[in-house]
Parts: sequence; C-alpha cells; structure tokens
Amino acid sequence: MAEVAQPRNWAGRATFAALACGVIFVQLLPLQTLPPSWAGPDLLLAMTVVWVSRRPEHLPLLLVAALLLLADLMLQRPPGLMATLVLILTEFLRARTVSFRSLAFGLEWGTVAMGIVAVTLANRFILMLVMLPQAPLGLTLSQMVLTILLYPVVASLAYLTFGIRRATPGEFTTLGGRT
Amino acid sequence: MARDRQTREDYARPIRRLLVGLLVFVLISIFAVWRIDSPRVERVRAAVIDAIVPNLEWAMAPVTGMANLVADFQSYQSLSAQNDDLRRELQQMRAWREAALQLEQENAKLLDLNNVQLDPKLTYITGVVLTDSGSPFRQSVLLNVGAHDGILDGWPTMDGIGLIGRISGVGRNTSRVLLLTDTSSRIPVVIQPSGQRAILAGDNTIYPPIDFLDNPDLIRPGDRVVTSGDGGLFPGDLLVGQVALGNDRRLRVRLAADYERLEFLRVLRSPVTEVISDPGSLIAPVAPAPQVFGPAQPVAQSAGGTNG
Repeated sequence: MAEVAQPRNWAGRATFAALACGVIFVQLLPLQTLPPSWAGPDLLLAMTVVWVSRRPEHLPLLLVAALLLLADLMLQRPPGLMATLVLILTEFLRARTVSFRSLAFGLEWGTVAMGIVAVTLANRFILMLVMLPQAPLGLTLSQMVLTILLYPVVASLAYLTFGIRRATPGEFTTLGGRT
Repeated sequence: MARDRQTREDYARPIRRLLVGLLVFVLISIFAVWRIDSPRVERVRAAVIDAIVPNLEWAMAPVTGMANLVADFQSYQSLSAQNDDLRRELQQMRAWREAALQLEQENAKLLDLNNVQLDPKLTYITGVVLTDSGSPFRQSVLLNVGAHDGILDGWPTMDGIGLIGRISGVGRNTSRVLLLTDTSSRIPVVIQPSGQRAILAGDNTIYPPIDFLDNPDLIRPGDRVVTSGDGGLFPGDLLVGQVALGNDRRLRVRLAADYERLEFLRVLRSPVTEVISDPGSLIAPVAPAPQVFGPAQPVAQSAGGTNG
C-alpha cells in the first residue's frame, strides 16, 4: 500500500505536486483584471481526475488534500469546500481505477464527467445553503463544460509527456504484487 | 509475498477509510469555521499568501512582462487605426485643456478669496499589483504593500483617476484589494447633479449596477458617480465613474479607473475606517445606555427631601 515506498512513486508524486503549483502560479499572474464573460477550465481539477484515474498511487490522500486546500486559499475560494468535494471525487474514482483499465475511454470519460458535474452542482448547492454570494451561473457552467472537454486533452498530454497511462491488467509492481 | 500483501491490505483498508473520513471532516470544519468567523480565517489566508507570493515575485515579473509584450505586439497590428483615434482624441483634449486651465485659475482665485484649506489628511501609499485573484469568479488584486507599510483594512484604493476598490485582507508585506467589480463589493455612492444616494453593487461584470436607488427618473446616463462617505467607509467625493444604461435596461456605472491594466495603485490613508474584528457586533452594534426622560430617580428625590 501507500507505506511501501517506491522511488518511482515518489518521483510521480513530486511531479504532480510541481505541476499543480505551476498551474496555481500561472492562474495568479495578473494578466486578466477585467471580469471575464466566460470562465476557462479548472485545469487543476482536470489534472487531478486524470492522475487519479490513471496513476492513483502518485496521488496520496494527504497530497490531494494539501494541494487543493492551498489552491482554495490562494485562489480566493471558500477554504475547504472545493477541497472536500474534489477529495470525495478522487476517492470515488480511485475505487474505480481497476475497472477503468478494461473500459473503453468513452465510458471512463463519462464517469469522470459525471463526477465533475456532481462536484460543480454540490459546490453551488452548498454555497446556496450557507447563503454565500454566488458566481453567475453562466460562468460556472462554462467552466464545468470546458473542464470536462479538457479531460481527454490532459489525459493525452500526460501520456505523451509523463507516460501517465492506464496500468495494463497483469502489470506487476517491483514487490511482486498485482497493481 | 502476495499473500502477505493481501493481509496487509485487509488491515490497511479500514485505516484508510478512517483517514479519508478524518480529512473530509477537517476540511469541512475549516469551511464551517470560515463561514462562521470569516475575519479570522481570512487573516490566516492573508498570512499564507503573504508567506508565499512575495517569494514568487522574481518569477512573476518576467512572465507577466513577456505576456504583456506579446499583447502589445498584437496591438501594433491596429496601429494606424489607433493613431487616427488618438489624433481625434487629442483635438478634443486640447479644447478641454483650455477649459481646465481657465477653470483652474478661477478656482485658485476663489480659493484664495475664501481662504480655504484643503484637507491634508488624504495622503496615499503607492503599491504594485503582484497577482490577481486567480479565479474568474473573484475580482481582486494583491498589492506589494501591507501592514509593514501601515496599510489598514478598509482603505480605498484608486488608480490615477478613479476608485478601484478597497483593501480587504492585510498581510505583513501584501494586501488584497477587493475590486468594485467583485460580487461581494458594495460601495455607498452619490450620483452627482441630482445628489441621489445609492449603492454600487459589483456583479462580476465590468459595468457594476446601481442598487437601492430612490428615484431612477432623476438619473440620466452620463451623470457623475462619486463616493458618498456614508457609513464611515470611505472619504466622500472620490470619483467612481459615469452612469450608463445597460443592455438589460438597468442603470450601471462605467468605471473611470482603467481596469484593463492595473499596475500601480494608490492606497489612500483614509482618516476614519471601520475596523472589522469580530463578526457579532457587525450585525447588531452594542446599544448605548438608554437615556431616561421624565421624573428624576427616587434616590434623587429622597436626597432632595432631606435638603428641604
């Protein structure tokens, strides 16, 4: 399990952490100070779901929680809310990584898309429940749709640059256990 | 080996589930605490940002510079059209300059006659924009001046011409400016020729709408909007913008400040600011001791009785 330290896993975790910090950094650059009419995709969310459905061992719980809480704090979101929802989503997907291996990509994409929709709706619902000011609906929806559309792009980029792909059935870890 | 691993997984699974539950609980409680006592958690947020962002400045400056260079290069393509526009604008500005000069002389004369002292309290600190909010849903920027430079929460922030927003969240070396366009920004304003008071409510568009207007018939597009100074929030008479009629027939404000490129901002040292320290007294301020009218207290009467 997670206690079995493998150098490859640690390298993968460090890569993901560095990428996530890079994404937050780019989002913080003061390039756009006008309120936008549409919202770009949530790259961090897209990356998290790609990694967790392909290489869950590169994404330990604590790393996901810490990175998302940092993103919440840095990006002026309600701290902890989005982090909780995405954490639950990653756990949901983590339990399905084994079945993803033999699934067509379309079905995997569909599952992930449903997860992203659920996270977005739950976020909005909770914000409504605790009576916080909401972002315009159009912005939230455009961000959700673009994040879902970005999933295959991020998946292929992750494969091309970092070799993040679905573990083939029967692949063995160095310790001899089945993945 | 494989069997050993199997048993270990059986032990690990409940522990893992416990860890997930614990993490979710911790994160949810952070959110709950933030919702209940926002100022304290926002101070923690400001401290985190204060610790991280100034260390990234060396990387942010060149990247931002490069991106702006590319944007500038794109604008060269429309250079001749811009040139014509600028010439036309210059013509108009010359006329205005004449008018301004005459008015300035007249104003100086009148001030001299009345022996007016201008308010010296409104000095300012200039800060450089480090980052924006990083999210399309929030409109704020981070300045490189903070509590170290004497910035206080609630101070108004302007660019050279108009109001930009107000300080909301101060770290040691950084402070956050909540822009007028943010959904949680509410500023009391006066619409000038008619003197009507209203609230400028940000809604994440570049033209924030005017709320709580008494009589919209007295307002017409082009009227000047300035801060009213109500509630001790801002000093009065800071220029905000002009009234414009939106596509949805709502009265909106065309902001005077240039939001397209926020680079250097002035933080005005506002003489009176509301300090937000705890959430309770915001909702219901502590009532002053009730004044008693009518006949005097019985004690005073008895004292009078012994005298008489």
